[in-house]
Amino acid sequence: MTASADVLLPRSPDEAVEAFGDGSDVTVIGGGTIVLPEITYGRLRPTRAIILTAADLAGVKRDGTTVTVGATTPVAELVDLPAPVGPCAANVADGEIRGQATLGGNLCAGEGAGAPRGDLQGALLAVDAVARSAGAGGERTEPLADFLANRRGRLLLDVSFDAPAAGAFVALDRPHTHEYTTMAVSVARRPDGTVRIAVTGAGTHGQRLPSAEAAAGDPAAAGEAALADVAPQDDALASSWYRTKTLPVLVRRALAELKEAS
Amino acid sequence: MNLTVNGVEHDVASAPLTSLLDVLREELGITSPKAGCEQGGCGACTVLVDGEARRSCLLPVGALDGAEVTTVEGLGTPERLSTVQLAFTHHYAAQCGFCTSGMLLAAHAYVEHGGSDDRAEITEALGGHVCRCTGYVKIIEAVAAAARGDSFDLETTAASPGMTNIGGVR
Amino acid sequence: MKAVGARLPRYDGVEHVTGRTTFVDDVRVPGTLWVKALRSPVHRADVKGLDTSPAESMKGVHAVITWRDVPLLEYGHLSALGIPADEPLLAKDDLRYKGQPIALVAAEDEETAQAAVEAIVLDLDEQEPLLDIRRAFDADAPVIHQWGNWYPHFEAEMDRRQIRKGDVDWAFEHADTVVQGVYRPAAIEHVPLETQVCLVVPEANGRLTIYSCTQALYFSLGVVAAHLQVPLNKLKLVGGTVGGGFGGKVDTATETMCSLLALKSGRPVKWRWTREEEFLCSSTRAPWHMEIADAVTKDGWILGRKMLTLHDSGAYARFSPYGLTKHSFHHTGAYTIPNLSFDGYVVFTNRVPTTAMRGFGVTSVSFATETHMSRIAEVLGLDPYEIRLKNANRIGDTSPNGVVYTDPSTVPTIQAIADAMGRELPADHRTMSRQPREGSLLPEHLVAQLGNPEEH
Repeated sequence: MTASADVLLPRSPDEAVEAFGDGSDVTVIGGGTIVLPEITYGRLRPTRAIILTAADLAGVKRDGTTVTVGATTPVAELVDLPAPVGPCAANVADGEIRGQATLGGNLCAGEGAGAPRGDLQGALLAVDAVARSAGAGGERTEPLADFLANRRGRLLLDVSFDAPAAGAFVALDRPHTHEYTTMAVSVARRPDGTVRIAVTGAGTHGQRLPSAEAAAGDPAAAGEAALADVAPQDDALASSWYRTKTLPVLVRRALAELKEAS
Repeated sequence: MNLTVNGVEHDVASAPLTSLLDVLREELGITSPKAGCEQGGCGACTVLVDGEARRSCLLPVGALDGAEVTTVEGLGTPERLSTVQLAFTHHYAAQCGFCTSGMLLAAHAYVEHGGSDDRAEITEALGGHVCRCTGYVKIIEAVAAAARGDSFDLETTAASPGMTNIGGVR
Repeated sequence: MKAVGARLPRYDGVEHVTGRTTFVDDVRVPGTLWVKALRSPVHRADVKGLDTSPAESMKGVHAVITWRDVPLLEYGHLSALGIPADEPLLAKDDLRYKGQPIALVAAEDEETAQAAVEAIVLDLDEQEPLLDIRRAFDADAPVIHQWGNWYPHFEAEMDRRQIRKGDVDWAFEHADTVVQGVYRPAAIEHVPLETQVCLVVPEANGRLTIYSCTQALYFSLGVVAAHLQVPLNKLKLVGGTVGGGFGGKVDTATETMCSLLALKSGRPVKWRWTREEEFLCSSTRAPWHMEIADAVTKDGWILGRKMLTLHDSGAYARFSPYGLTKHSFHHTGAYTIPNLSFDGYVVFTNRVPTTAMRGFGVTSVSFATETHMSRIAEVLGLDPYEIRLKNANRIGDTSPNGVVYTDPSTVPTIQAIADAMGRELPADHRTMSRQPREGSLLPEHLVAQLGNPEEH
């Protein structure tokens, strides 16, 4: 019963890491926007939970072109970061939820009950972000893609990336602010001119589109090439057919926007 | 843990993972925030937490030790209504009234933070709030009027600038 | 009549903005138990076994009810309109839609109630569901209702709502062309902000006080009294402010079950549906399948209409025969068509039973008729405004079921739309009115359908 759950409120990053331990049998709560409805609807019945709001893991630090974002930074504080990260954050839910939801909660969100979550995964993959986390075996820093693939048993501490030379974010329209984003594409041009392309909503979590990246000079070709990298499923928001039709369009538009932004 | 609601300090007995919505409605008997969906999708549960509009159904009370919460009861009373409450009444911005509490608090925060009477900005700020009765027109007009600093007369209802006379019967 | 034309404030406006309006869920009665329901997990199944004892013996559970606890299990809510009973309050031998309530639990708190529901043992034999109304008539379709796959109890035990007017064969023989269309609006959820909710308090004097969000207080009073087999004066229904209904709160979906739990436990009980229950299990506006064929002349007269409607009633009849009846009366919409052949069926599927929603029965046919008018205009190469004005209802025209129009608003409404859209109508259409037809607006084929508005 949630009434008898053991709930910890660490007051520092070290306390949070210690409370987390190896992550077994503990529910981590950032802002709570994803976890609370799961509890309310009986899908999640934590016996042990950590609420991170007081653990001093929030904040955006800049060091030259490097941006470091603490795990419990509210999504609202990311909207002015360079594209694609800023526009991606601005597209999450509505202002009230952005003020409460955290970067960490967004990145670590599992698949919803029939809907994709974790929009920021795509934007941060596109800027080659690295994730610093704690857990069994101690602290480590790794590319975000590796963190996402192996995030069980890891407590995210912060995410860092170098501001791209230019970026763009394009998403399928949401009919209402409370809808999750069906699919979105993030692109970024690195200082050396190479282009990174990532998508959310075309699989279980955000991923890069290497085939599209290889063809990035030709937006239409890149759009078509992107289909080789994904296997979209039917879910509550859209069919795989629909995603297959619209992914090339999103990639093409994102690259066109990137060209204009450069 | 400690929660101040509408200026009154409470020692909260509910478990830390209880939503603020349930603490307000069930433990403290403050029923103006509503359980419209309990998933953050409708805005009927919105309250102010330290002056910011937040979904009370999504907040674990354990994260709110020392916070100040405001519900519509704390905005104003029938004898002394706040600006947005006057605006909503004069502009007929409520029908069934179920979404009204959340709308008012979001509107109050918007106006307090310097929001303008621009329709697009109001729509963006209140975008998380669903109303199934009014079609939103009068809600937006009320918020715009509050943002402009209009005066409000409670004996009559405002004429809606959005309506045109689309022809009489011939 | 000083209120007419005056801009009066809402009488409850100040209550709304100060949070003082009391909705059902805001009523606080000490000792109230929370209710949760065991619902069918499948579209269609036979019930082989139902064991509620694990729930009954759970700490914190005060009452569990099943079909056995209901004095009158099946009651036709519209029996006064001739629609017999077909739906058990709680499922007995079989399950006919996903979400159908089977058993209800009243417990000390929400979590205990939910745990008790999950402890109930349900043994099912799943069956092939019928989900497409078009299949209902196939010889190899599963038969999913004791009356067959479509409602057979219209007057004179007809199995459809039928309208015949004039001579539709003549119309089709004399048409220059036939314009066909198929229209299939999907189900629509009401989505009131306030979910279904009910609080029942057993009083010391033996009465029940039922705080209900129903849109139809006296109607629900009668339904509850019938199921419980008690005189009306044993029940006190307290309504008031409904947090949005739109037709979805007329099914008396919670009051009877909560009353049974209150009686069995001796405690006040409250059942508040979650938003997920609203979307998955609450009744919707019906989906429809409508086929229209209009016999038209090249100058835009609609001589006759043949129409077939399938109304998806979901698993039980509820109010669907009534909705279809209204639909049939309005199947020519705002236009006068003298020769008609209409057949409408209320078809059962293994979906949530459908119910009223604003404009019950009529919005579907309005959508179909209006779209069809534009389609006719396109086929004939005529202006969609002009074709509407020509065929528009006028004083003295008669509806499909013979009602004489005394005050139809079609003509001035369409002219006002043209005005608002900045459309310049030709002079003869601009000066049209709803006055009785004459001259070129009264061709031979429209004479026989005229009625006398004075006699109406």
